[in-house]
Amino acid sequence: MNSSLSPKERVMNALTGLPVDRTPAVNPTNIATVELMDFVDAPFPQACQDPELAARLSATGHTELGFDSISPYFSIIQESSALGCEMQWEEKDNWPTVRMANPIWNSSSDIKIPKNFLSHRDVRAITDSIKILKQEFGNSVAIIGKTMGPWTLAYHVFGVENFLLGTIDNPEETNKCLEKLKEISVLFGEAQIDAGADALTFPDHATGDLVSGMYYKRFLQEIHEEMVDALPVPLILHICGQTIDRMQYISETGMSAFHFDSKNDPFESMSAVNGKIKLVGNINNPETLYAKDPISVKQEVFKCLDAGVQMIGPECAVPLSTKIQNLMAIPEAIIEWTQKNNNY
Amino acid sequence: MPITNETLESELNNIENSQERDHIRKLWDHADILMQEISVNLIQGNNTAVDELTKQALDNGFDANTILDEGLIAGMAIVGIKFRDNLIFVPEVLVAARAMKAGMVYIEPILSASGIEPIGKVIMGTVKGDLHDIGKNLCIMMLRGAGFTVIDLGVDTSSEEFIEAVEEHNAEILGMSALLTTTMPNMGKTITSFEDIEMRDLVKIMVGGAPLSQEFADEMGADGFGKDAISCVDLAKQFVANEN
Repeated sequence: MNSSLSPKERVMNALTGLPVDRTPAVNPTNIATVELMDFVDAPFPQACQDPELAARLSATGHTELGFDSISPYFSIIQESSALGCEMQWEEKDNWPTVRMANPIWNSSSDIKIPKNFLSHRDVRAITDSIKILKQEFGNSVAIIGKTMGPWTLAYHVFGVENFLLGTIDNPEETNKCLEKLKEISVLFGEAQIDAGADALTFPDHATGDLVSGMYYKRFLQEIHEEMVDALPVPLILHICGQTIDRMQYISETGMSAFHFDSKNDPFESMSAVNGKIKLVGNINNPETLYAKDPISVKQEVFKCLDAGVQMIGPECAVPLSTKIQNLMAIPEAIIEWTQKNNNY
Repeated sequence: MPITNETLESELNNIENSQERDHIRKLWDHADILMQEISVNLIQGNNTAVDELTKQALDNGFDANTILDEGLIAGMAIVGIKFRDNLIFVPEVLVAARAMKAGMVYIEPILSASGIEPIGKVIMGTVKGDLHDIGKNLCIMMLRGAGFTVIDLGVDTSSEEFIEAVEEHNAEILGMSALLTTTMPNMGKTITSFEDIEMRDLVKIMVGGAPLSQEFADEMGADGFGKDAISCVDLAKQFVANEN
């Protein structure tokens, strides 16, 4: 056991399978809340557009909540905004979203990456915030960037319904779309690595609530394998919802970790991935973190730790009005469990 | 007439629960071969075939209600069960829904003109901050097929808009949908808004969406939780039956 790891070492060791002094509290997706926005005067949507505000708000995940990682990409829309999607920016109590009912593209031949993509305000908000965070926390806390996978980008640029209908009407065309869109995932991912990201979350929402496990295998598994070579930092695949039926395929991609949802039991999930990928998650958002108390949060953390989940965090981006005491309970519970079990 | 279409027979045999299988089988008890063909093509998502067969059925003198019940809705019943049992997923449901719409293009105007009273009025919308609508749209299609009048408020619907719509249309039922865990709390806020202006008792509220659960619906004070489009229709029917 190494008893004096920095938060960064703890996260990077957990991602790469090296020993840790305790299980890290990790947030592959957002843990910023309205309370934290007020605390550091960095509200949505400005904190999604301005690198200094993004850095300031995301840093609270470590400084105020006690997580071992900092993630400055709060939503899932930065690339889509830069691609020209119609946006609904909302206010500080709500998420910015893409108006997917008004898609910008119809087919693979429409897909073109704007020349100014990397210099777009909403892309720079992330890359520049990573640079700021790297200067301040670079040696001590893991900085986790995020680049959307081609499946998620397809929802945004084609509209969810059009894209999913296309998978049946013309699967070859779907493959062409994914092949082209993955270039955006790589481009943005590389830019974040250059800016100093230690790891990248790779959300690609081929969730069991929408498509089958066979869809994952057929359309995405190979692309995700390619991403491991294309993006030379630990990758954390994120897919919401039920995913047990595709965890075996996910575990074969070579990605470092899979960020899983509370719809999947941690014991079953550990068994499904069979040691071939690390798991991070899966504290329930709507029923526990949002609606219950720190004691309930801790019980879920203990269950994950008992199951052997390698990194603990909320299952997905938390509701913005989540109480910070509930989020703070995650690292607290990990420390309590470690002291009690003393098994590192 | 027994089921003569082999594909339909095979689809029925895939339903595991025998009681449910027998119940669904009865939908075709008196159905003509043409109705069975409409059902099969709907299940398979062949919208062009459903379009042509519906037209043919009307030309052959079948009434619109028969085509709706014994062809389109009966087919969607199997689609709903397969979706619930994770045998098919949203893309397969979407192509079936598209096929149903192809048939409804001919059926809906006939039913509207017939002056038959709807069995209830439902306001439907996706909550504030959420722009996802596939699930909601499937529910609306099934509700309309089941005889409800549905007023669709679309996506990103505020509490005020839900309240106004319930008042304006004098609706008995309100359905709210959310896909994001981040927007689910807006359902609870809308229910509270109805309570604040003492309108809560005037409307039955049902909620649905992939991340929701019965527990969450109960905590928010909803009257019902529909985990899929079929449950949504069942709930709405139950609300109307209890009222009568």
